[in-house]
Amino acid sequence: MASHEEYLVQGHEELTQVSDAELCFTYDTLRDEGRATGAGTYYPNVQRLCGTAFEREKDRREVDRLVHQVSPPEMQAWYDGARRQSCVWWLDNHIVARHALKSCLYCGVCTAQCPAAEYYEDYNPRTIVDVALSRDEGRLVELLQSDVLWYCGQCSSCKPKCPRENNVMGLISSLRFFSQLKGYHLASVRGRQQYAGRHLWGANLWNRACSLYFRNATADGHPDFGPRYARYWAEVEQQMRRLGATPDARGDLGGKKVNPETLAELRRCVQWGGTLVLWQQLEEHAMAHAASVGLAIDEYYDKVRTEG
Amino acid sequence: MERVPVAALPETAKPLKTVKEIPADDFYLTTSCILGVINPGTEVLITRIYDLLGLHWGLASARPASQCTCCSGITTHGDVMAFEGTLLVVARLWSVAAELGFENITTACVTSFAIHSECLEMYHAEPGLEEKVDRWLHEACGRRLQIPKHVVHSSDVIYRYRDTLAESFLKYRLVDHRTGRPLRVVDHVGCHYSKVFPERSVGGADYCDVLTGLIRSWGGQTVDYPERRHCCGMGFRQCMIRPNRGFTMACVLKKLASMEPYQPDLILTNCPGCNVFLDKEQWAIKELTGKEYGIPTLSYTELAGLLLGWDPYDRVGIQGHTVPLEPLLDKIGIPYDADRAWLTDAAGPAVKSQLQPYRREARTSLGLR
Repeated sequence: MASHEEYLVQGHEELTQVSDAELCFTYDTLRDEGRATGAGTYYPNVQRLCGTAFEREKDRREVDRLVHQVSPPEMQAWYDGARRQSCVWWLDNHIVARHALKSCLYCGVCTAQCPAAEYYEDYNPRTIVDVALSRDEGRLVELLQSDVLWYCGQCSSCKPKCPRENNVMGLISSLRFFSQLKGYHLASVRGRQQYAGRHLWGANLWNRACSLYFRNATADGHPDFGPRYARYWAEVEQQMRRLGATPDARGDLGGKKVNPETLAELRRCVQWGGTLVLWQQLEEHAMAHAASVGLAIDEYYDKVRTEG
Repeated sequence: MERVPVAALPETAKPLKTVKEIPADDFYLTTSCILGVINPGTEVLITRIYDLLGLHWGLASARPASQCTCCSGITTHGDVMAFEGTLLVVARLWSVAAELGFENITTACVTSFAIHSECLEMYHAEPGLEEKVDRWLHEACGRRLQIPKHVVHSSDVIYRYRDTLAESFLKYRLVDHRTGRPLRVVDHVGCHYSKVFPERSVGGADYCDVLTGLIRSWGGQTVDYPERRHCCGMGFRQCMIRPNRGFTMACVLKKLASMEPYQPDLILTNCPGCNVFLDKEQWAIKELTGKEYGIPTLSYTELAGLLLGWDPYDRVGIQGHTVPLEPLLDKIGIPYDADRAWLTDAAGPAVKSQLQPYRREARTSLGLR
């Protein structure tokens, strides 16, 4: 049996030999291993676990187990049924889609306001509304397989100007969700990035109770932030503590390591909302797509987060 | 560079009324993922200013299960969260607030503000949803849905107390102490503060006053630059997936080019993401276009902290900014010791060489083919 330390550097193939119970127990043990310091309890392994193949494998197993439990929560069952439905059905039944769109004057003010439409030549939120209102399944599937579905920056600049008070940001978000449930996102390089998103902001939420973990903002990963930021990053923990934050430590402000009891409550909220059906589908779609292009799943993860 | 005569400046219009009701006190503070990451001083300053004002507020719980968590905003707008999950994560936060005895929510993040507001609006729009979420929350956590009396952003609270701060606490004003000239401050209000639910903001989407009100009260001059309302381009999947970040950079460039003719002394923000990208992308824009804007960026709490006379490095954290703030401190007359900015001798990685692989895509994004 490999040691706990060895798990941290192993990939999916090696970790398949480890039982679910051993994998999850090891992860939780490492995560909650605290060290008393003058500034309180510090958790050195939080950063070591973040973003590893070990964490992705642990998440994959946990989600799989929870999705296949005998009596799933109501919304988990709802989303599991919804993924077998059509796009038109989704528009008529998904809570966000139902409230997002009323009618359209085709005035184009949404597009005139849209920063993404200015940047991406082939992007136009008005045409997305047009496709949704057409209720044409073929056009909807084509949209859900396209790159343009992923261009919206979710800023909502369009919403205050729409004479019909449509929520195009919400409509697009809802359609993106369905695209992933169906696996249509695999046809788009932008859509495939969602597998990285699941294991970046999704994993942060699931494992650290925050969508953005402070160690995600590395200087190496953000060369556009410049040398002064790199200087700051080199001493980020000390600077955070200096300002009153609590990086990877017990506390209540920036960078805190959340209590296991709080994390358990948050996870049940995520699960009861039905989110794990999407995460399970993203995993299955990614596995199948990786195999079809001859990549191991860890190689696939690296590919989708760096191409676009 | 010669300054534009003051009479030529298009100052921001005051909204006819600010319909928003901002409670005076009694706040549960929900923390922010982004603020805590890149400008941690900004978030801690909220708590320090609330304490200075003597407000009844809280965040910490003695119960291990009742810590504050992320609102799930980035995960929701990053499209990997079912909306019912968002409703439940927020309902849990409301339940924690009630457990601690607070009836109002004040969010540190503007996307949290929009997320909480979206939940409130959905309860109005969807009959029976409250009962369902209450049942799900009870099944999941043993908690009950307890809708707060008010949801406001922490910049709303500072807006309410802007004159109190000016009259009783500020040691400095937004004035060049050497000449008496009011400093020119351009505001950039976060989209998720004023555009998702304009009626829940101070003054609405077009003439939002939540930051310009502070500028006026604290002695500065506002400027209604043409792209004042344009998004900073943070996005969610845009800024967090590196190949998509050219969109962010292009939006920042559009804003900088629009405000530059007015020679602003400062960009003032109330959104964690805007505060990061309007500041940090200025370096890459300089590298890729040759144009250095060098306009410092501060959040409303960082600005308040500096004007209160709090230590620029130990309390405000200006060393975390890419565009140096020290020239602004010189204008205002705030003393500082630049040798105290850094705590170690550690040098960062050689960023310039690492920009090389990014150069081609970034140049394309800025139209520099």
